Amino acid sequence: MMSEKVAIIAANGGMFDAYKVFNIATAAAASEKEVQIFFTFEGLNLIHKQAMHTLEMPAGKEHFAEGFEKANVPSIPQLVEIAQDLGVKFIACQMTMDVMGLTKEDFVDGIEVGGAVTFLEFAKDAAPTLTF
Amino acid sequence: MNITKTLDAKGLACPMPVVRTKKAMDTMNSGEVLEVLATDKGALSDIPAWAKSGGHTIVEQKTEEDVLYFYIQKA
Repeated sequence: MMSEKVAIIAANGGMFDAYKVFNIATAAAASEKEVQIFFTFEGLNLIHKQAMHTLEMPAGKEHFAEGFEKANVPSIPQLVEIAQDLGVKFIACQMTMDVMGLTKEDFVDGIEVGGAVTFLEFAKDAAPTLTF
Repeated sequence: MNITKTLDAKGLACPMPVVRTKKAMDTMNSGEVLEVLATDKGALSDIPAWAKSGGHTIVEQKTEEDVLYFYIQKA
C-alpha cells in the first residue's frame, strides 16, 4: 500500500532551499498526504519570524530575483502560511535551538519543538523521506 | 458536461495551481466537475498527477492559446 506520509528534513537556510522544501511540502499536502518537516541547523531560518523574510540566494545567483518575480512565484512567508493551512506540521530541532540560543517564540506560530526521535518516529513509515 | 465550478489559476506558478485546485475541490461534491484554467506549463503533468493521487477523473483536457483547461470530476 502507498504511504500516506511524506517526511522532509530541512537542513539548509537559503532561499532556494526554502522553495524546494515548501513546494514539495505543499504539493504533498494538497495531495492529501500527512506532511511533517523537521527543521534543523540552518533550516531553522525557513520558519524564523524575521529570517524567513530575508533568505539569501546563493552567491552569484542574485539575478534570479527577477525570474522569481516574473514567474509570479509566491513568497516564502506566503508558502509557509499555505503549508500550515494545508496541515503541514513543522518541527523545530530542540538541540539546534539550544545551540543557537533560540526559543519557540522566535518562530512562526503553530510549530512544535522536538528532537530527532520525534521525527524518526513519524518518518519510519513515510515514503518518500526527503532531505534538503 | 455540466461544469459545477471554474477555477482561474492563470498566471500562478507551482505549487499554486495544485493548491488552489485542492481547495476548490474540497468545496465540491462527488461526481461534480471542476474546470481549471492554468498557464503554468508544469500543470500539464501536475494536475493529472494530482487528480490520480486523489482518485479523481480528468474527463477532458485541452490547450487553447497557451491556456490549459482541465475538467476534473470529483471521486
